[in-house]
This record gives sequence, C-alpha cells and structure tokens, in this order.
Amino acid sequence: MLIDKESRYDRQLRLWASTGQTNLENSHICLINATPTGSEILKNLVLPGIGEFTIIDNRRVTPQDLSGNFFLKRQDLNQVLADAVKANLSELNSEVCGHSINRSIISILSEESHQFWDQFNVVIVSDYVPQLELLKEILWNKKTPLLIVNTIGFYGSLNIIANEITVIETHDPSRLYDLRIDKPWPELQAFVNSIDLDSLDDTDHAHVPYIVIYIKALQTWKVDHNGSVPQNYHEKKLFRSYIEQLSRNINLEANFIEASNSIHRALQTTGIPISIQKLFEKVTAANESFDASTPIFWIFIKALKRFVEKNDNQLPLPGTLPDMASDTTSYLCLQTIYREKAWKDQELFTREVIKVLEEVGRSKEELNRDSITSFCKNSQMLYVTSGSKKLYSSSLIQELLNSSNDAENDPYNTLGIYFAILTYNLFIEKCNRSPTLKDLDLLEILFADNILNRSSVPSSVITTFRELLSHNTRHYHNINSLMGGIASQEVLKLATAQYTPLDNLFVFDGIRSVSEKWKI
Amino acid sequence: MSVATHSARDISSIESILRNIGPYNEVPDEYNADEAAEALRTTTVLVIGAGGLGCEILKNLALTGFKKIHVIDMDTIDVSNLNRQFLFRPKDVGHSKAEVAARFIQERIGDEELKITPYFGKIQDKPLEYYRQFGVIVCGLDSIEARRWINATVVSLVDSELNNLIPMVDGGTEGFRGQSRVILPTLTSCYECTLDLLSPKTTYPVCTIANTPRLPEHCIEFASVIEWPKHFPGRKFDADDPESVQWMYETALARAKLFNIQGVTKQLTLGVVKNIIPAIASTNAIIAASCCNEAFKIVTNTNPILNNYMMYAGDESIFTYTYAHSRRPNCPVCGNMSKKVIAKNWWTLDRFIEEISGKQEIQMSSPSLTTAEKSLYLRNPPNLEQATRPNLAKKFNTLVRAGDEVVITDPNLPISLRLTVEFTGPEVEPDDVNSSLM
Ligand SMILES: [Zn+2]
Repeated sequence: MLIDKESRYDRQLRLWASTGQTNLENSHICLINATPTGSEILKNLVLPGIGEFTIIDNRRVTPQDLSGNFFLKRQDLNQVLADAVKANLSELNSEVCGHSINRSIISILSEESHQFWDQFNVVIVSDYVPQLELLKEILWNKKTPLLIVNTIGFYGSLNIIANEITVIETHDPSRLYDLRIDKPWPELQAFVNSIDLDSLDDTDHAHVPYIVIYIKALQTWKVDHNGSVPQNYHEKKLFRSYIEQLSRNINLEANFIEASNSIHRALQTTGIPISIQKLFEKVTAANESFDASTPIFWIFIKALKRFVEKNDNQLPLPGTLPDMASDTTSYLCLQTIYREKAWKDQELFTREVIKVLEEVGRSKEELNRDSITSFCKNSQMLYVTSGSKKLYSSSLIQELLNSSNDAENDPYNTLGIYFAILTYNLFIEKCNRSPTLKDLDLLEILFADNILNRSSVPSSVITTFRELLSHNTRHYHNINSLMGGIASQEVLKLATAQYTPLDNLFVFDGIRSVSEKWKI
Repeated sequence: MSVATHSARDISSIESILRNIGPYNEVPDEYNADEAAEALRTTTVLVIGAGGLGCEILKNLALTGFKKIHVIDMDTIDVSNLNRQFLFRPKDVGHSKAEVAARFIQERIGDEELKITPYFGKIQDKPLEYYRQFGVIVCGLDSIEARRWINATVVSLVDSELNNLIPMVDGGTEGFRGQSRVILPTLTSCYECTLDLLSPKTTYPVCTIANTPRLPEHCIEFASVIEWPKHFPGRKFDADDPESVQWMYETALARAKLFNIQGVTKQLTLGVVKNIIPAIASTNAIIAASCCNEAFKIVTNTNPILNNYMMYAGDESIFTYTYAHSRRPNCPVCGNMSKKVIAKNWWTLDRFIEEISGKQEIQMSSPSLTTAEKSLYLRNPPNLEQATRPNLAKKFNTLVRAGDEVVITDPNLPISLRLTVEFTGPEVEPDDVNSSLM
C-alpha cells in the first residue's frame, strides 16, 4: 500500500511544518546501548520519520533484555542485540534507514578516528557507558549534542551536553503580535489617514479595524501629551477613554469594544528586546572570530544588528496580524500593508546577510529564502544557550546540601536522585558490576569521597540511595518508556531546530510523579 | 524444559521492584512480595482507547506483569495514525484498533498466560455489571464525552461502604503537552470536577462567517456551517469521507477566492472541520507511561501513588506540575451540593437552556430539564417532547421560582446536574451588546 507522507505525518506537520520535517529527515541519530529506554527513544523517532539511526552495542540478547524491551522478539534470545533491535524498529517505518554496529564503545573509541562521529547529528547514551569522559570530549569539540539518559527503578535523569544550542522557531506561546502602533511606517500612516471616521456611516464605523483606531487615538494622545506615549497605569487607563471617545456607542460597536479590551496591543512599544540586545553584544565581542565555520545563526545575528542600526532601531517586521473585528476589505488592505513591509524588511536584511558572508569569504549560495523568512518572522524570540560538559558542578553540590538542610524532615530529595544515579554508575565503573542493597554503605562512601568530598551524607540522600538500590532494575518499563518519551522529544526539538530544548539537566521521580530541572 | 517455555518473557525486569520493600513504601508491615506478584497476575485491567495512548498503555501493562487485560475502542485504523500508533502497519488500515492492537501485543509478548480481550465498539454498549470485574481502569481517550461517561459510571458503582471502588487512571495529550491523573471515585476529584480546566473550542461568530470573512478559517466555517446543510440537507458531514472533505475544501476555496483571502489549504480544512489535535509518539509515550506507572503502584502497593494530577509540557524546555486537585462540592457526579446559577429575568426557557448548556463546566448538547414538581422540557420520548415544547417560548421565571432546584440530564451522559436558580435583571431585555452584534 502506497501512503503519502502528508497523510501519514499530518498530526506532526501541524507542530513543525515541512521545514521541521525536512530537518528531521536529514538527521542521523546514534544510540549507544540498546537498552529498553534506548529502544523506546528510537521508536519515537522512527515513527515520525527520522532520516537514519545507528545502534552501537556488542552484547547478545539476555532473558532480562527480553523481559523489558518491546522491540525484541522471543526468537531474538541469544542473538546480537543491536541487530535485533534495529530489525524490529525498522518495521515501524520503511522511510527510515537503520544501522547496527555490533562492537563495544571501547573498541570504537580506541580504533576509529574521531571522524567516525561526524556522521551523527545527535548522540544518545542510555545508562552506563565506559569512557564517557572521552566521548563527551570528542562530541563537545564537534559541537554535536550528547544526550545521557539514565533509568533505575522509579527514577530517571536526562543530561543534554551541548556546546551551544540556537533556536529560531521557538513557537513561544508568550510571543506578541508586532503591530508598530507607536511607529507606523508611511504606507500604514497613509492608510490610517485615508479613513475619516466622522464621514463613515454607522455600519462602516462599526467595522474599522482596531489598528486604525489605535493609531488615531495614540496620535491624538501624543498631541495632548508633548509627544509622549501613555507611561503609567493611570495614563494607560486614561488612554482607554481616548479610544472610547472615538466610538459612537461603546456598548454597541464591536470593533471599539474589542479595541478597548485588547488595549495592551496599542501600548506595546517598538524596540529591541533585552535578550536580542545581549546577542548583539556577543557579536560585538566576537567580531574578529567570524570566519568560514561560523554557524549561519551568528551570521544572521550580525546582519540583524546592522539592519537594526540602519532601520531606526527596529527589528524586521514579522508581518502577521491577529484577527480583529473589521470588514473584509479593510482587513485585507492592512494585511497587504503589513506583508509588503515584511517583504521589504526581508530584502534589506538579506542584503546585510550577504555582506557579512562576503566579508568572511563565504558564498551567498548557502542562503535559502525559507530560513531568511523564518528568521525575520521570529527575530524577537530567538533562543540561544551555552551548555556545560560537566555532569555536576560545585554549585550543584552546594544546592544539594542546602536543600537537605532546608527540609530536615522531608525524606524526598529530587536532586539527591541525580547524585544517586551518578554514584550508581561510578560504582559500575569501579567494581565492574551493578550495586545491590548490600552495597549501600559502599555506595555512600563512593559518593562522599569522589563527589561530595566530605564525610557526612545528608539523610534524605541516603534514603534516596536506599530506594535506588531496593528497586535497582534498569528495565522497569514504565520509567524506560517515560524517559524514552522525554529524551526523544528533546531529540525532535534538536533535529527539527524548533521549540526550546531542555537546558540542561532533568530528573524524574516516579514515586511522587514530580520532576525538577537544573542548569549545570 | 521445552524451547517455547524457555524463551517466554519472564518478569526479571520488575523482580527487584516486587521483592524489596523500599523506604517510601506506605504499607511496609503489610506488604508481601508474593501477593504483589499475584495481584499483577490476577487483576483484570480495562484499557479504554487503543489509539496513540492506548497502544503505549497496552505495551506497558504487558511488559510490567499484567496478565488479564480488556481493551475497548470503537475506531478503525487510519493512515494518519501510523506516525505514532506503533502496533499498526499500513496493511491494517481500516481494521479495528482494539482487535489489531490486542493481537499484536499477544503475539509479540508470546506469553500463554497473557490474555488480552478486545472489544470493537463503544463503552456505552456494555452494561454496568461489565465494569465491576475490573481492578483498575486506564483511559487513553480523546473524547470528552466518553471520559465523562466512564467517569460517571465508576463513581456510580461505589456504595456507601466504599465497596466496588475502581481506581481510574486517565491520560490525555495535545502536541508536546499532556496530563495524567489518578481518580479514586468519591475520594478524589473526578473527571467532571475538572471540566472547567479544558480549554474552550475555538468558535467564530456567524455574522463574521457570513458577512465579513477575514481568515481562511472563516471561509472553511462558511462551507461547513452554511453551505453544507444547504447542499446536503439532512446529511451529516463525514470528515472521514474523502469526497466530502474534497467538496468542503473546494467550497471553502471558492469562498476565499471571492473575498481574495489567502491560505485555504486541504490541511487547514481538515484541521478545522475535524477539530484535529496535533499528536506525536513521544508525548503519548510519556503520558501513557506515567498512567501505567500509577496503575502498577495501585495494584502492587510498591510505592505511593500520584495525588492526583500531573501536568506535562515539553514545548518550552520540560515542565511538570503535580498537585492535588480538590473535589468540587457541587460536582454533578461526585458532589452532593447543587450548583447556583443566575438567570436573567427576561430569559425564556429556550434562552436559559442555550446559556447554560454552553458553559464550560456543563457542556451538554441535548439537555432535558425537570424540577421537583414538573417537567420543563424533555427531549424524549416524542410525545413528551411535543407536550413540553411550548414551555421553550415561555419566560423562565414564570416556570420556576427563585431558589428552585432544576435537574438537567443528557441522554449522552449518565449524569444529572442539579442547579439552584436565582434571578436578576429587568423583565424586558435591554438593548445590549449581544443583540446588536449582528
Ligand atoms: Zn466530581
């Protein structure tokens, strides 16, 4: 049966559109350790159509693997684990290309050159892996994001180790429409002037879109107030009466009622958000280091800075309008005025981008129109973060100690879960086996000596250790599946380059069904 | 030992969880590992929905020791399910979700003891007695009405000594967001208690659709609300019929061309007429796993259970919010107080019905109303409908007095909602905003 992609992927295209889908289909994800959690992560990526995946694992299928992994069949027992999981996942989507490497990570790290890792867009480690430090180092230098997922019993943790993450399409729900009521450009001003409220009949008067009402009211206000816009609460309240005075009947005219209710849109000031100003400062600081390998995101930021300097400190206009009470013609007129201004801004911005590229000896061929459009539409809400390659910091340990002191009688400690998981993996590294309840004391000593660097471990942390060792399975499927879902969601965000990813540590407690996150 | 038994899946993956009593176990003195294992084997679980959440739920239950599972779903498999409902393949399109899902799990797990009983139909088909056999119910539904129905049903099963209390775990997702919750009928807040948490459906005023369309959505609504009934009187639009959808799309497109409006696409048309909610495998996995983790703890007593609501949002970093949602004393399902409503003196009964049935916490599509003394309006049977119909045009304050209790029922829901009516406002309708918007 032939199935078109648009129907198959309909429910996800509504989240990240074809641009996100194309990025996803061009991504290659690597999983180290074919655990149940790892298999669940890949399941959630194969279904929406990730380009390729590679599984690295040199073990054979044990009864315990079979017990907790849905992507193993009974006949896979004693077979090569990576091959079996790859085959069973591949059934889910014929568009996806799967690979399996039946080798240990140690042999790959020692025998392959670092270029081996260039093929992957994201690397995932599930549970314990030897030589994690070396792997982190290699990927950090390549700026390839590394996800580390751990599940033990009712507990789960996720680290995202990424040099830098930048997102253009954040889909931020707090985003506001950019209407420029306080800074109408000539075409918009001309349209507003062309509407003489007094000469309209009652029907037309009740269909004037609020953009026109706001601009007229604000200009009258400015005349009355030495050219300044409403500043404080009192003035903003007073401004509402300016709008209502323009109405013939504020109880009847739907457009004026709406204008009065959406007054925040009129009072938005046009300017550069602080978060974007900070990016400009970064560009200034890094001016010399722009070169052939600078990511296109930073090229865009540099161009944006120049655009803003030349355009009265204004960002490119996104050009989208909210719906508002209006007759069809006026609304479509406004829509055209906003859209044309947005196109014009895009053109000017493109010129700046090309100049920046030329300065560092790069070709404008690497530009594509869609990415420019998307950048201009989202330039108020760009997201940038710098990560850390550490698994913990001294301030995180301090936070653990503080949280333990604050809640003397609280037996729960979410950050304690994370340190318990770290210590659990440290135990495997030192002792070559997984700890059990009998090893509680040893685990405590390992934690105190190697991580905490002091002798007394807080009681809530010891309780957490005890819970971890009591239920020390790494194959409890509900937590495997939950953490698999969470980790795959982060991979989707990184692969589509949309929505804001975790920054950078997440811990889930399946006992209380609560989570917390930290930035290391 | 034969090869078949040797390769059967064991429960080694959850052995330590069952065997060892952890420090957070709430009943350490009574807890018994063998009993917990036995409870998993003997408890019959009902899974409602075999879609995005349902596929995950069935997999999770089967991999965590449950052996007796029933699954109900009235839907058949659609192409657009394949991006997340991993038990289905292209060859299964058109077949029952419940049946295909049950067969797949059974085959993959390969355990003689595991029995999954599918039912291809509606939950409302089953008698009340059917539901008594379950130890826990896990819901992965996208329908509000079905959720309200099963919620009211499990609440009604509980008697005054708290016998027949069936815990219900409910999950829901939308895009990168979702929620999971544990309902202990009559003890915690129920589904009906939180009806006002749902975000209201987007609606467009008729006058905009008819006279001043501005958005592509307005054109699609015009095709659906005004043109469809005109061209196909008496025929309900079927969003799963490609020809009907094509007609809708073309009609909307023609309307858009007439007004020069851009952006009517087939994808948008489908989204508006089917009220499509975006969905991905990841979010379903998270919410289903959370639900099954709670079901596992409920049955085994290995650790405390969620009290009682967890919200999840993954679109901006990762965020969860867990809290105890409290019961609503005037909940029509689990409460015992009647809800106060204010009616305007000028309202007719018809207007009153219109005003209250659209309310977020009521949401009834075909309500019937009675008081202790008389029937105000009944939808069924036809002779009573006819007899009570004249009341619709009468002024509401001539039919009931202030402080009277009105009981509202809806044939689609096993709920009777009690309202205490108070009156306010003038006898004659003033010229207000609502009346002049057209
Ligand atoms: Zn309730």
